[in-house]
Amino acid sequence: MPLVRKPSSATPSPASDDRRLAQTLLQGSDDERWSAARAAPELPDGLSLLDNALARERVPRVREAVFTALAKIGTAEAASVVLPYLRSDDPALRTAALDALRAMPSAAGTHLPRLLGDADPDIRLLSCEIARGVPTDHAEGALVELIEREENANVCAAAVEVLAEIGGPASLPALAGCGARFPDDPFLRFAVKTAADRIGSR
Amino acid sequence: MTDTRKRILIIDDAALVRSYYRAALEAHDFRVEEALNGLEGLEKLLSQSFDLAIVDVNMPRMDGITFLKALRSKELPLSSLPVLVTSTEAGPQDMAAARSAGANYYLVKPIKQETLAEYAAIFCGSHP
Amino acid sequence: MADPPPLTTEEFSRLVEFLYRRTGMVFTEAKRYYVERRIAERMAAMSSPSFADYFVHLRGEERKEVEELINAFTVNETYFYREDYQLACLTTDLLDARVKTKRPGDAIRIWSAPCSTGEEPYSIAIWLLENWKDVDAYEIEIVGSDIDTDALEAAAEGIFGRRALMRLSPDLIARYFHQLDDERWQILDDLRQSVSFSRVNLIDTRQTRAQGGFDVIFCRNVLIYFDDESRRVAAENLYDNLLPGGFICLGHTESMSRISPLFEICRYSDAIVYRKPLELSA
Repeated sequence: MPLVRKPSSATPSPASDDRRLAQTLLQGSDDERWSAARAAPELPDGLSLLDNALARERVPRVREAVFTALAKIGTAEAASVVLPYLRSDDPALRTAALDALRAMPSAAGTHLPRLLGDADPDIRLLSCEIARGVPTDHAEGALVELIEREENANVCAAAVEVLAEIGGPASLPALAGCGARFPDDPFLRFAVKTAADRIGSR
Repeated sequence: MTDTRKRILIIDDAALVRSYYRAALEAHDFRVEEALNGLEGLEKLLSQSFDLAIVDVNMPRMDGITFLKALRSKELPLSSLPVLVTSTEAGPQDMAAARSAGANYYLVKPIKQETLAEYAAIFCGSHP
Repeated sequence: MADPPPLTTEEFSRLVEFLYRRTGMVFTEAKRYYVERRIAERMAAMSSPSFADYFVHLRGEERKEVEELINAFTVNETYFYREDYQLACLTTDLLDARVKTKRPGDAIRIWSAPCSTGEEPYSIAIWLLENWKDVDAYEIEIVGSDIDTDALEAAAEGIFGRRALMRLSPDLIARYFHQLDDERWQILDDLRQSVSFSRVNLIDTRQTRAQGGFDVIFCRNVLIYFDDESRRVAAENLYDNLLPGGFICLGHTESMSRISPLFEICRYSDAIVYRKPLELSA
């Protein structure tokens, strides 16, 4: 019988050596930095170590682990560490930051009002996606408020996309108003109509 | 009788965008499949053959530019699939980044349905 | 039950989009009745007076309900040789790739996690013995892990009923099982002793690391139930447990596109599987 059963032969992960970890996070090999990032949430100053590491990390896989570790910490402060990366010029980094925020919906949700009011339309646009994961009562109100005053059609479209999923009858007037404000945007008119149809059907 | 219509893969995170493009493309006799991020897009492209991919830049798990680079590094014929990139950004550096990643063309959102169908026909090699 | 109340077109769209976004499963109008039946069950379980009410609950703090909903739409029965196209891929493609860098007598480690009541790891064992020409050339170690200790106990005992064996030929059953009575068969001792079982929570890095490095991991129909954060942690743990170039197989309706960008996509004639890249960087 070529099948063998062996007692577990692997060595479990070494206990986190706090002093070493900070150093490894910045200077180790890709694998070492990856493992160090994963162990960081267990340390008292894990958040600041991860913050630091994120600012320097260029390898996507390791950066992904840093973001996961931040999501694991999952506090409003951890979300604050991630937020600036939504502004990156690098689409991969923006995507990674948004994914991390999606994995910590309550923490991200505490920043939602501010994000939806950001001066940068790209931030407002990406933040609509964060609203999708936040408990409905907060998210719907915030998105309705947004589309009542939003000047950027693409931001409105992002908000309407999420309202099509989470919106209730309270969204209908704002949706209609939004569609009327952009008569020349064929996609937005389509999106508003679809969202209103979905919400209106009961 | 085999279906000779051109096949287009729409890769966009937003369900309403995918519906809107689908309506436009089906009205012009294209067959449409959907994916919501670059990873799903790659999986579908590995499983079925397509004549064109339309991919947005901002998507979860794998953005459009990363998708494009991964696609161009595959083997022929997949690596030479025509790709239209869509984005809310109109800046020259965003367009340049898409071009150097291997995009065939770049369309800025919002996109009119007729425009989409027109470019789809051009890049699928069919004539409207 | 009586015919479920129909969903409006818009309600149907909302629901199938939610499921597609979350799991990748596609339900078209053709599957309307299938969808309506299952959503009616969930609505009854949650005492929801309307779909709108149910949908609000789904998105709210009731994340457990998301799990139940997904459960309702996936086929959860476990039996021998389930999704055997992946077993075929294992012996046709994956093991050949793995042994390129191995010498005769080297170990090949395969992980079934979650293993539930053992059908999967024992299926792998039987399949290899029956179908892999090089099965005698290597030391094959199969590990089954699950979070449920009752399931693990049952797995170690190796007693199965008719339904679990339904896809096995009488010949295979005769060769690898010992019949206890009309309804129960037990895996032969030799085979039973050669698969090891361990309790592991896939989200617990200490527990997963203790299992060591694997050439192939079968992680079917569990990741899709985790929330975003847990899916990421579990994916990283699985990545950690793969040897460079090692493969991971998900369930038939699952895709890494909903889980993690860490793995390379590999298309073989029988299946799409995922691979940990061979080491490139320092």
